[in-house]
Amino acid sequence: MTFTRRLVLAVVGATALTATSFAATAQELPRNVRLVIGSTSTGGDTYQNSAIVAGALSEKLGINIKVDAVGATEAFKALERDSRGTTLMIFHDQSYLGNLYGVQGYEDPFASYKIGPTVAINPGNAYLVPKGSKYGSMEDILAAAEAGEKVRVAIQPGGVSEIGFSAMKNAAKLRSPGSEENIVAVNTGSQSDKNQAMWDDLADVINGSIQANEQFTQLPEDDRKAMEFVWITARPATLEQAPAQGMGDTTRDEMLQYASPQTSVPLMEGEDFTFDKEFFFLYNLEMDDAIVEQIDTALAEIFEEGEIQNRQKEAFFIPNFLPSDEARAHLEAKRDTYRNVIAEITTN
Amino acid sequence: MEFLAFITPLFLSLVVAGTLVGIVFGAIPGMTATMAVAVCLPLTYPLGLENGLALLLGLYVGGISGGLVPAILLNIPGTPSSITTTFDGYPMTQRGEGERALKIGIVSSLVGGLVSLGILFLFAPVLADFAIRFSYVEKFLIILFALSVMGALSNNMLIGVFSGFLGIFISLIGTYDISDGGNGKHRLIPPGLEYWLESGFSLLPVLIALFGLTAILYEAEIGIPRGLSRDQVKIGDSSRFSFSVFRGQIVNLIRSSGIGTFVGILPGVGGSAASILSYTSAKTFSKHPERFGKGEPAGIIASESGNNGLTGGALVPLLSLGIPGDSTTALLIGAFTLQGIQVGPLFIGNNPDTWNAMIFAMMIANVAMFVMMFFAIRYVALIVTVPKHILFPVILMMCVIGAYTINYGIMFDVWTLAIFGLFGWIALHMRIEIAPFIIGFILGPSAEVYFVKSIESFGDLSVFVTKSWIAVVLWVLIIGSIAMSALISRMARDSRESLAAGASDPV
Amino acid sequence: MGDLTKVTVDFETSHLVFPTIIACVLTLLGIVIVIRDRRRIAASGTYWAEVLGKMDKVRFFGTIALTLVYFSLMVPVGNIWPNTGMGFLLCSIPFVFLSGVLFLHDRDIRSILTIGVVAVVSPTLVWWLFTDLFFLTLP
Repeated sequence: MTFTRRLVLAVVGATALTATSFAATAQELPRNVRLVIGSTSTGGDTYQNSAIVAGALSEKLGINIKVDAVGATEAFKALERDSRGTTLMIFHDQSYLGNLYGVQGYEDPFASYKIGPTVAINPGNAYLVPKGSKYGSMEDILAAAEAGEKVRVAIQPGGVSEIGFSAMKNAAKLRSPGSEENIVAVNTGSQSDKNQAMWDDLADVINGSIQANEQFTQLPEDDRKAMEFVWITARPATLEQAPAQGMGDTTRDEMLQYASPQTSVPLMEGEDFTFDKEFFFLYNLEMDDAIVEQIDTALAEIFEEGEIQNRQKEAFFIPNFLPSDEARAHLEAKRDTYRNVIAEITTN
Repeated sequence: MEFLAFITPLFLSLVVAGTLVGIVFGAIPGMTATMAVAVCLPLTYPLGLENGLALLLGLYVGGISGGLVPAILLNIPGTPSSITTTFDGYPMTQRGEGERALKIGIVSSLVGGLVSLGILFLFAPVLADFAIRFSYVEKFLIILFALSVMGALSNNMLIGVFSGFLGIFISLIGTYDISDGGNGKHRLIPPGLEYWLESGFSLLPVLIALFGLTAILYEAEIGIPRGLSRDQVKIGDSSRFSFSVFRGQIVNLIRSSGIGTFVGILPGVGGSAASILSYTSAKTFSKHPERFGKGEPAGIIASESGNNGLTGGALVPLLSLGIPGDSTTALLIGAFTLQGIQVGPLFIGNNPDTWNAMIFAMMIANVAMFVMMFFAIRYVALIVTVPKHILFPVILMMCVIGAYTINYGIMFDVWTLAIFGLFGWIALHMRIEIAPFIIGFILGPSAEVYFVKSIESFGDLSVFVTKSWIAVVLWVLIIGSIAMSALISRMARDSRESLAAGASDPV
Repeated sequence: MGDLTKVTVDFETSHLVFPTIIACVLTLLGIVIVIRDRRRIAASGTYWAEVLGKMDKVRFFGTIALTLVYFSLMVPVGNIWPNTGMGFLLCSIPFVFLSGVLFLHDRDIRSILTIGVVAVVSPTLVWWLFTDLFFLTLP
């Protein structure tokens, strides 16, 4: 027993020595990098985005990058444990929205992690109603709330899916204080749960996405599955970068009708609320700045070459590269806006 | 025949290669069809849509089918959906009939796969419209029906039901998950363990621990007795597989395939429920329910045709609603979006070529699965003759890989393996019954969401009966299943009492 | 049906509804079992003593100890060469070897050599398959 223990100690000691000598020279990304993401799905948008970026980055730098879909809580833990740059993370606005909505497991990402560059936007966040619904537009919905009618909105609480709902409440309050009480949440889970909530007549409006729900908007009105868009939360500037043919049978111009300014959900007097789901890197707080620099430079070159944009657009993502510093400032400002929205509707 | 233009040598070889890799993944305890699809997904981008799908569908069919191999030979379900295969498959292996059990499983898998494929091809849009009539209420009742098998699987009704509820209880530890519609709050976590337990225990590590590690610990306790020698494994005339096993099982085959398909169609109910439900029904309707769990071929038939029935079923909501039927088909969405193809209610109409290619690929995959497994299986069956001092360490190592990789690299899943391995060993001695426990553990989280959401949405308990005629039919099935369990349990007790009055059993 | 069946669930506390129901059922079933099987439960001390007395202690506790050491070392060792799966490879080889020897009955050179070969070949093969071919993360 003592023999094996001594052996283990010796082996660990020796390897630790070699490891530290490696570390002394390592001011750049190691040869094998693990990129954890905040989603457990390997079929979802976070994974696809990360896979595109990881592919481009590993080719550029000549290193291996593995994307691991471990989910938000586990990804944050993995990131916290490792400051050597061997673990990086990609996630989206959920990282701070989860914190704003007080979801367990979400700390303030701006305080707990380094914010890396943004890479892309998913412009698809949308709200839909059954086709032929008495609420044909956001205007109808806000007017109904003002008139004292309860409007039920199916969302997944605690993040990206809820922020548009919060904005609706905020807009209702602006229009007629007190009417925000008439916009009520139906808390559901996945997209299929939200659709089902509509078909079961448990919700009047559902949160969805252009990608997942567009085909339902093409169904004839007598099909109980048929839906129509009432609001697309993306900034018009973002949507304008989407391919002109749009998605499915909905062209970009048609999409723009559901987005600000044509469809207005006011944030405050004279300004509309918008939300783009942006994907960005998160790093361990102690990670070397040289590595931050290295990734920024590499990504800048990749986006310069223009190849990655085609991949992203094919999958209906909007290319959106901002180097770390700009990304951080941009996201912090965005967070502050949403913090105000949430504060506005919770304090009466 | 212009619409068959997608059939190229590349297409065919991708289906076959996918099926082979899928079988290997399915056969390794802890590796699932989902994982096989996940690791190969990035490969599909340069292949293009039809060829990429050919590979992925092969992996899917192979992965679901491969799970029966360790379930039957080692009593470790290779994938969660082959859990019920262990109940009758392993007892047959212990009798030296491993090869026969495997072949029964393979034939049933083929039938399940083809039946569900036929249903998919002919009725996809109609079925999708029917499936969306299942609200939270009906889904809860489906889960309840699957849970009702707990009683029937127990040796002792009371303790079995207790074990099942214990399984549900332990499955609830952690967070009421937001992505399932919960409020994201923690519960049942002992103070101080939040860091480890906030995501709860994952299903797969628990599964392989209770079946793999527990068995190894038990064998270690009794000093690793020598295993079956080559002579004991019946190869040759005495155990020759013959299709006559299926005489009188046609109804079982069709019913189980149908149940598997239908459960696959219901989004969110989950793959493991398919085989559990088929098994429950097979036992409920059997003339010899008491033989189940002791090496009854009908049990393997139900389980395997049920879980392969899933493959076609889970594609129905994917292709006609854009909603995945299980975790593997959720990944297929990724394959479509990578190619810029939308899936939704218009998919089949807009992409007839892709649709035909998928059906064809599934068909080839099923046939390839059958050919490869049926003729290779007699050699695979010899795995039970590998000496245990070699087999066990390797199984342990594979369990570690499975546990670690199932959620893409989380060490706590490996510790879960250790915790539940020990728990299983203690449970064995305390007479806690593992089969109902694991069924409770698998179905617990969905039971919770559907139950709580039903009440939350309708605010009335009577909705469970009055919601729809579907709910009423489900209640009839649930009551039938429970009555049958009670009957079996009484019969078993009577025969036990007449056999040995008062033999004292330890606790 | 009347108001008797009316129930409202507050979303904020809905995470406790189901666990409470299950806990109640468990307690109920537990009490019934304790009453029914009280004699057996009283005898459980003797039963466990018997189990411990009869067991192959070296193999049983050896397996547990080896497994725990194996699990504990994997991550620290893997951390030396991050994201290469080395922790798995370097820990699995001795683990498979040692547990193989532990389980072996007649420890002759031939059998030990066989175990040695298996202990080197199988982890290496698996490691190569999963890290290189399937590109999965191992510790």
